[in-house]
Amino acid sequence: MTVAAKQVRAGGFARARGLALGIGPSVSALILLAVVWELVGRVVGAAFLPPLSAVVGRLVELVAEGTILLNLATSLTNLVLGFGISLAIGLGLGMLMGGYRRVEAALDIYVNAFLTAPSLVFAPIFFTLFGLGRGSVIALIVMYSTFIMIITTASAIRSVSPSLSEMGRSFCATDLQLFRKVILPAATPLIMAGVRLGAGRAVKGMINGEMFIAVVGLGKLMIDEGRQFDAEGVLAILIVIVLVAFGAAKAVQIVDARLTSWMPSTVRAE
Amino acid sequence: MIKLIGVRKIFPGRNGKEDVEALHDINLAINENEFLTIIGPSGCGKTTLLRAIAGLVPIDAGEVLIDGTPVRGPGPERAMVFQNIALLPWDTVLANVAFGLELRGVPKDEREERAHKFIRLVGLEGWEQRMPGELSGGMQQRVGLARALAVEPKVLLMDEPFGSLDEQTRRLLQEELVRIWEATRTTVVFITHSMEEAVLLGDRIVVMSVRPGSVVEIVPVPLPRPRGGRIDTVGWSTEFLAITAHLWTRLRDMQPDLVRSKEALAGVSS
Repeated sequence: MTVAAKQVRAGGFARARGLALGIGPSVSALILLAVVWELVGRVVGAAFLPPLSAVVGRLVELVAEGTILLNLATSLTNLVLGFGISLAIGLGLGMLMGGYRRVEAALDIYVNAFLTAPSLVFAPIFFTLFGLGRGSVIALIVMYSTFIMIITTASAIRSVSPSLSEMGRSFCATDLQLFRKVILPAATPLIMAGVRLGAGRAVKGMINGEMFIAVVGLGKLMIDEGRQFDAEGVLAILIVIVLVAFGAAKAVQIVDARLTSWMPSTVRAE
Repeated sequence: MIKLIGVRKIFPGRNGKEDVEALHDINLAINENEFLTIIGPSGCGKTTLLRAIAGLVPIDAGEVLIDGTPVRGPGPERAMVFQNIALLPWDTVLANVAFGLELRGVPKDEREERAHKFIRLVGLEGWEQRMPGELSGGMQQRVGLARALAVEPKVLLMDEPFGSLDEQTRRLLQEELVRIWEATRTTVVFITHSMEEAVLLGDRIVVMSVRPGSVVEIVPVPLPRPRGGRIDTVGWSTEFLAITAHLWTRLRDMQPDLVRSKEALAGVSS
């Protein structure tokens, strides 16, 4: 009975077939990709494209050696610290810019400039400031992910329907009550859209930072493997990085779904 | 008792455009326990007038007095029902009705108990835990009405509350409002663009002029009360039709440039 219900909801023909096999469409696509990779890798036999099985074998090796886990831990620590700082600055400054015209007028142009400028050009500056380590990577993550969150948070606050604020004021809400009980919840869906973008950019910043400046983390490991022309190793680390990105996106999505469950599902991005 | 003395409101013109005078020398006395309806042509400033009484817009001259005290902002003795309803979409019906009480710091148990009472009064028992998005427009406005009544205001300000509803729903809600009002006898100021509605609900009807809005006539409605439950019979009586016809003559004559002459129409058809 549940299966029938699910099929009706899924609608499309292809999806219904995927469900008949007991798997979702995204998993089917992944399996297809893996099979194609394995076949092409074996047939072509190029040094830069080893078959998937060899890459997975190398991945297991790296995990067993402990190199991956150690570097993964370093990278994740950088990511959490950097993204945490970004969240605090992005949401804080964004709310101020959204709430106060003057703050917006003062900062808008600079925030937009920093959003547009390639964040990696700041790497040398961070390098001289924070040295060859964690500090520079974290600074770069902040640089990558903060500005998009400032801009989306500010516009989320500004686009809250004036009739809702007016309703709050008519019931004698203080400024703080109005912000906490009306404006912030109303702005949350758009703010969370910005946080999703910010999380994606934070992962980018982490890898770029580790590859270009610091001698730590997954990015550094990838560079090392690349220098040894170890294509299997490079691709193995690439898989881990994609998993980290996927995990970060999923984590934000879960928080988003909890905060905005009141939105009709047709409006909410899945 | 509400007194408006020489109330004037001017909206400054933006980008070099001329200032717009929305309200011009409004003098009006609204009695305690009176149901006053205000009608006027589109854009005559009737909503601005209501917002001035609500304390949501500052006025440029004159005075709005409530029991002798000048209005300087929203106050606990006034509550408003909005044309666009303005419910909090992330909260349940219960939380929405309790919203005004929550802002006033009424403890959760007490405010929910009081909210329950008013949810019953507007006929939404059993819908307490639903979200506004699950309700029809008419039911949403019942929530809006319950939310305003829950703070037990001395004055209920209603800004075209049934304007966006379909005719059948509107009639049902008019009946409901008459029934509730005849039981509570709160002072009501009710803005409408519907002549029938103005007559059916009101003790007196204020007719406003085209912009800049001023009071051109106050029409008493001598229809018997209670009108609740038999609003249709009232609606087909000769007195009702006579007052409605009188209102339409006044309103039509105010807008001569919108009333096309026979000659002009003849020119088109030939």
